[in-house]
Amino acid sequence: MTIAHLDKVSVIYGNGLSELFALRDVSLSIAPAEMTLLLGPSGSGKTTLLQVLGCLMRPTRGDVSVFERSVRGYSERELAAFRLAHIGFVFQNYHLFPTLRAWENIAIVLDVQGVPREEQRDRAMALLEKLGLGDRASHYPSELSGGQKQRVAIARALSLSPQLILADEPTAALDGKTGQGVAALLHDLAHREGCAVVVVSHDPRVEPFGDRVLHLEDGVIRDDVRRDNRG
Amino acid sequence: MDASFRHNLAVIDPLSLFRNGTSLLAWRNLAHDRARFVVTLVGVVFAVLLMGVELGLLVGFARTTSGLVEHAGADLWVTPLGTTNVDIAGRLDERRRYEALAVPGVASVDKLMAQFGFWKKPSGGTESVSVIGFNLATGKGAPWNLVEGSVADLQQDDAVIIDKLYADKLGVKGMGDTLELNGRRVRVVGFTDGLRTFTQSPYVFTTHSNALHLAGFADDLTTYLLVNLKPGADPETVRTALKERLGQVDVWQADAFALQAQKYWLITTGAGSALLLAAALGLIVGIVIVGQTLYATTVDRLPEYATLRAIGAANAYLYKVILKQAVISAVLGFSIGLVGIVAVVALTQRSNISLAMPLWLIGVLGVLTLLMCAFGAVISIRRVISIEPTSVFQ
Repeated sequence: MTIAHLDKVSVIYGNGLSELFALRDVSLSIAPAEMTLLLGPSGSGKTTLLQVLGCLMRPTRGDVSVFERSVRGYSERELAAFRLAHIGFVFQNYHLFPTLRAWENIAIVLDVQGVPREEQRDRAMALLEKLGLGDRASHYPSELSGGQKQRVAIARALSLSPQLILADEPTAALDGKTGQGVAALLHDLAHREGCAVVVVSHDPRVEPFGDRVLHLEDGVIRDDVRRDNRG
Repeated sequence: MDASFRHNLAVIDPLSLFRNGTSLLAWRNLAHDRARFVVTLVGVVFAVLLMGVELGLLVGFARTTSGLVEHAGADLWVTPLGTTNVDIAGRLDERRRYEALAVPGVASVDKLMAQFGFWKKPSGGTESVSVIGFNLATGKGAPWNLVEGSVADLQQDDAVIIDKLYADKLGVKGMGDTLELNGRRVRVVGFTDGLRTFTQSPYVFTTHSNALHLAGFADDLTTYLLVNLKPGADPETVRTALKERLGQVDVWQADAFALQAQKYWLITTGAGSALLLAAALGLIVGIVIVGQTLYATTVDRLPEYATLRAIGAANAYLYKVILKQAVISAVLGFSIGLVGIVAVVALTQRSNISLAMPLWLIGVLGVLTLLMCAFGAVISIRRVISIEPTSVFQ
C-alpha cells in the first residue's frame, strides 16, 4: 500500500530556450507510517515536489496518484476537496491566523470541513493537549514561542486526521533544541498515527529522524536511503 | 484538561457569539485593525446619513406636494384642463358640479378652492400664501393635524386656520390675531401642526365661500371638484364617464393626481433629481470607502487566505469571510447612521424642512447599505480568487 505515487513526473517552467526543469522524470512512492525527508540545495526541486505531492501543482508531464487514484482528471475544486480530506500541511512560517487563538486556529480548519460547531472546540483542545499545549489554547500566536507556534501548526495539520502530512522546512525558524523537538514530534506522529510524513528541510539536525532520506539535485532524485528509525 | 481551564474557555469562547468560523474570522479581521475599522464605519455612517437625509427629503417633499390631495378624502378630482399640480390651477364653473352629480356612480361632489394670495404681516411686508377653501358641511379638503381651535370655528366670515410652523413667517403670535389677506381682514381661529408646503406658500384654510371672497372670485366659480363615489362604483369607469360628460376638464383618480403633483414638483423642477443625485453620491462614496478599506484588510490577510486555499477551503468559504466583513460593516454602520438620521429628523421637526423617514424608507436604506458594502467587497473577492495556494511555500 502506498499513500502517494509519482510516475515519471516532470515540472517545467517556461518554454523553448528558457525552459527550466524543476523536476525531471521523478518516480517515487510514499509509504504510510514513515517519515520521508527531502533534502537538497536550494533550487533542487524539493518544494516543487512537495507541492506536486500535495496536489497544489499539476505536473507538466507524468502522473500523480494519491491513495492509488490518479488525480490527473480532477478539477481545481475536486483537488481542493481532496486536499482537505486527506492531506495536512505544515509551513515554514507556521501561517497561523494571528487574529485567532491557538485552539481557534485548529477549529477554523475543522469549520472549513464542516465539522459541527459544538465538536470543534473539543477536538481542537484534545489535539493541543496531545501536543502538550493545553495550557496555551487561549493564547494568540503572538503570545507563543516559535516551537509552540509550530506545534499548533502541526495540531492544525492533524485536525482532520490526514493520511499524508507535508511539512515545508518546519524547523527553519526554530532554534536547535526546539527544531529537534518538532522533528521528533513529526517522526513520532508517522509511527504512532500511521500516516506518511514528508518533510522538506535544509536542516541537518532533522536528518536523524528520517526513516527514508531522499537527496534531490537539479530536479532529480540522486539518492534514496532507508533507515531503521523505529526504535 | 483541568476544570478551571475549561471554565476559562467557556467564558472567552467567541464561537458562542458567532455562528461559525467565517463569522469569527470576519469579525476578527475587522476588529484586529481598529483604526481601519473605524474608517470603514465612518464611511458607511457618512453614506447612510447622506442617503438617508437626501431620500428622506425626497419623500418629505413628495408628501408635501401631494398632502392636500391625500388628505382631502375624495375618490376623484375634477381639475381645470391642463392642471399639473394641486397648488397651481385655473378655475371651474360651478355648473360643472351639477353635471358631475348626474353621472352614474357619483355620490357627492364638493367644491375646493386653491388660490395664491398675499398675506400682509403686522411688521410690514407680505408673504405669499395658498388659500384653501373647502365645504365646511362635508369637511372634504379640511385641514388635518389640527392642534388648536376647531374646524367649526371657520363658520365666522373672517376666520382662517394656519400651520404653527409658519406662524412666525406670517407674523402670527397666537389665536385670535387679526391680519390682512388680499386686503381683507382675517382672524386666526386655529392651528395645524406639520402641514408643510413645497411652494413655501403656507396653507391658509377657510370656508369655500370665504375663499371665493378673499380671492375675488365670482360666486359660481371654484378651482376643483372633489368627487366621492357610490359604494361599489368602479373609479375608473366613473372617471371616464365624468371626462366624457364634462369635456374640457381633467379627471383624476386621487392617487393618480397625487402622483402627478409629486412628479411635477420633483421631476420637472429638477428638485427630485438633485436629491436623488446626492443620495446616489452617498452610495458611491460608501462603496468606494468600504471597497478601499475591505481591500486593504484583505491584502493584509492574503497569507491567511492562501493558507486556507492550500488546506483545501472552497472559494465559497473565502467569499463568505469577505462578505461577512462587509455585512458586519454594513450592520454596524447602518445602526450608527440610523441614530444620526433619527437625530436629524428630530431636529427638523420644528422647522419647515420636510424630512420624512417612514419605516419602509428605513428598510430601503438598510438594503442599500447592504448592497453598498457587498459591492465594496467585490474587489476583495476578485483579489482572493487570484491567490495561488502555492504562495504559502514562498
